[in-house]
Amino acid sequence: MLLEVRDLHVEFRTRDGVVHAVNGVTCEVDAGETLAVLGESGSGKSVTAQAVMGILDTPPGRIGGGQVLFRGTDLLTLKEEERRRIRGAEMAMIFQDALSALNPVMTVGDQLGEMFVVHRGMSRKAARAKAVELMDRVRIPAAGQRVGDYPHQFSGGMRQRIMIAMALALEPALIIADEPTTALDVTVQAQVMDLLAELQHEYGMGLVLITHDLGVVADVADRIAVMYAGRIVESAPVHDIYKAPAHPYTRGLLDSIPRLDRKGRELYAIKGLPPNLLAVPPGCAFHPRCPLARDVCRTDVPPPYEVSGTRTSACHFWKECLDGRAGS
Amino acid sequence: MGRYVARRLLQMIPVFFGATLLIFLMVNVMGDPIAGLCGERACDTATAAQLKRQFGLDMPLWRQYTTYMGNVFTGDFGSAFNGQPVTQLMASAFPVTIRLTVVAILFEIVIGIALGVVTGLRRGRPVDTSVLVLTLVVISVPTFVTGLLLQLLLGVQWAWIKPSVSPEATFGELIVPGLVLASVSLAYVTRLTRTSLAENRRSDYVRTAVAKGLPRRRIVVRHLLRNSLIPVVTFIGTDIGALMGGAIVTERIFNIHGVGYQLYQGILRQNTQTVVGFVTVLVLVFLVANLLVDLLYAVLDPRIRYA
Amino acid sequence: MPEQPYEPERAVAGTGMGGAMDLGASEASTLEGAPGGPGGAGPAARPRSLWSDAWRDLRRNPVFLVSALLICFLVLIAIRPSLIASGNPLTCDLARAQDGPAPGHPFGFDGQGCDVYTRTVYGARASVTVGVCATLGVALLGSVLGGLAGFFGGAWDAVLSRITDIFFAIPVVLGGLVLLSVVPGNTVWPVVGFIVLLGWPQIFRIARGSVLTAKQQDYVQAARALGASNSRILLRHIAPNSVAPVIVVATIALGTYIALEATLSYLGVGLKPPSVSWGIDISTASPYIRNAPHALLWPAGALAITVLAFIMLGDAVRDALDPRLR
Repeated sequence: MLLEVRDLHVEFRTRDGVVHAVNGVTCEVDAGETLAVLGESGSGKSVTAQAVMGILDTPPGRIGGGQVLFRGTDLLTLKEEERRRIRGAEMAMIFQDALSALNPVMTVGDQLGEMFVVHRGMSRKAARAKAVELMDRVRIPAAGQRVGDYPHQFSGGMRQRIMIAMALALEPALIIADEPTTALDVTVQAQVMDLLAELQHEYGMGLVLITHDLGVVADVADRIAVMYAGRIVESAPVHDIYKAPAHPYTRGLLDSIPRLDRKGRELYAIKGLPPNLLAVPPGCAFHPRCPLARDVCRTDVPPPYEVSGTRTSACHFWKECLDGRAGS
Repeated sequence: MGRYVARRLLQMIPVFFGATLLIFLMVNVMGDPIAGLCGERACDTATAAQLKRQFGLDMPLWRQYTTYMGNVFTGDFGSAFNGQPVTQLMASAFPVTIRLTVVAILFEIVIGIALGVVTGLRRGRPVDTSVLVLTLVVISVPTFVTGLLLQLLLGVQWAWIKPSVSPEATFGELIVPGLVLASVSLAYVTRLTRTSLAENRRSDYVRTAVAKGLPRRRIVVRHLLRNSLIPVVTFIGTDIGALMGGAIVTERIFNIHGVGYQLYQGILRQNTQTVVGFVTVLVLVFLVANLLVDLLYAVLDPRIRYA
Repeated sequence: MPEQPYEPERAVAGTGMGGAMDLGASEASTLEGAPGGPGGAGPAARPRSLWSDAWRDLRRNPVFLVSALLICFLVLIAIRPSLIASGNPLTCDLARAQDGPAPGHPFGFDGQGCDVYTRTVYGARASVTVGVCATLGVALLGSVLGGLAGFFGGAWDAVLSRITDIFFAIPVVLGGLVLLSVVPGNTVWPVVGFIVLLGWPQIFRIARGSVLTAKQQDYVQAARALGASNSRILLRHIAPNSVAPVIVVATIALGTYIALEATLSYLGVGLKPPSVSWGIDISTASPYIRNAPHALLWPAGALAITVLAFIMLGDAVRDALDPRLR
């Protein structure tokens, strides 16, 4: 297994109290596989990614426990210098907003070439040639002339391609993409997503795709992990989930997508508000919003029940949900 | 880039004439421009009238101003109370003040930025807190008090330096006065650097640099500092003009015969020509320094360059 | 960065979330960002605003408490110096010139044989008067002109902005020397007038900038679309949101104005003897600084602490009002 996250806990100290952003996340990604992590903002998906990459701001963040096994080694036990060598070279990250994620006062060529200079000890000249090659690879027109340009001189889609090129530079085994197309125009989103999927296939990398866009997920993901209030509530192969969700939250998400065959009918909406992470409800965090909630849900945190060999659901009543009794 | 410079130059013109006119009005309308010309005594009416005619002071003010500016552009700044051309005073005063300013700016760059970087990278630690408190104290104690105290301690009590600077005013003699002149700005540079660094530290591109697996040193130097120092450079640049104009107090304390000294004498003796002449040059220095800062800004920040 | 998504959850309507999940990015961010901003949490959360939040922070900040207490004390003795000093600052005994501390005279005597303690206490009045009055004048003039320039733009804005450029080009101390050296009389008012004259451009720029920013905000555009009048938009929507930076800068400026008054008095063009001011006392004490350093140190210390108090207050207020620095 390429990446295994076991029972990861992350908390933040804020002036209003300790926020438990990630409460025991367990998931895994294999080489060549795409795992989509789905959830609202505040569900803990980005923080999980940052903890895996080792770029969490500490303080205020703190890893409360768990393991992050990368090719069998627990990254959390490594020294910072050892982790640094892995970052960028063996696992890389693509950020949401390329304009702010790229250094405004450095040419894109220098920012790309830096990867080779630092991790491979190349000369600046050789690194620049590599940068042009990479820009070609992500299909930036006239790469040779644009290598000396600054980020603000590119369009949003081209900037995101540069981010992708930077992540791909050293052909890492794992890429974590945190909402890679969210900041882009809808027409460009598809192009960038296709490019990412194509390159992933070509290099045989593992891909963790963090998103809240169910449309993107259906196209490219192999597996889906749905997060709610810092926990993974359902984890399953993509087709199983779309066929029959095993958690009322997942069902709510799917039912709230407008669909042509239901045109004219009122759109389903999950009632209530996303949880306040300073005061997560006891028991199952979703119970105040859940149509299936019973007394046990208010007191007992549901463990990840095994639905099938490849599928888990953290709902006491996953069977009922699977039977379709949770939805609209 | 060319258009950017041209626009800046055009904007300077009204500011230059506005500022010099303002000073011209202040000196001429409020004071008596010939008061200092008859030595320590007041002039008698006949002499006064004659002097006024001689200096064109019977003309309307706007004529006086245009005549004066016309002369200035041919290099004629008029003459001081003792008949010495103002340009001669400038030739002796400006090199001294420029040396003093250079020393002050060097202090700002070296100490100010170094302290700012150290505190910015160690926010909340004891070093940070103590330097912050120190900057607050330096900002709060007016320059003339700092100057008097340093003069008392270093010059009189411990005798490390001479309490007053010789007419040659060498760089060595100007170290302590330069530090005094720089003190408040130095504290501001420290605080500005610290804030700028702390803000940029949380920026997305620094997080990207960390995610790229760059060594900490490279992240700080290549990514963080390069971006954080842009506002600091701007501040130091605009401070050049302010330091030269603000040297009056420092020069008075250490008896340095620079621009501030000449201006002070000019004001005490109500010598219009000296005051207006020196201020005109100071305004020009301020504007040129600001222009240079704008150009430097464009060099440092490509977003401006290609705008 | 990771703090941001973990602020107490934002108020997002259930329907909003359903739509956002599907429509993706742009909508999602607007829906999440809009209502109430950070802290507009679920039904249980207490209501918060910039000001109440800032006040909550300030009450817990020791820097604020110390400086505020100090300032209250200073204002009090500026109004009634006789509360803590029984003597007369102008009653001096040349025979005791430069003497050190003596019973009833804890700070000793200055070069004219005046009691340093009494003079230091009485000196607060000039400093506080100049600081407070000049700041009020500068803040009023600067924010009204700056606000109007930013709001209406056009020719007025261009002309006023150029005028501020002109004032910035004149060195402050120099301007003070030129202007005040010819003003007759010996009161604080010419000094106040001069500071207002040269100080307003600073506040002008701040006010203009923050009004320009506020003008672009969606809620102002919305108010305009709903047909609100200019004066209503300016007073109800823009002013409350632009006033914070002006307050911060003005508080810090107050400290520097006090220092400026002392500097001008030291140079002999601010207040002149027989007025009582820390600047004058420092100036008269400086020639015999070797023999009687106490005559200089006490007023200098009082001056420094006063300036420090206002700068610290401004600092604390800024930290409280600027959520980015939290």
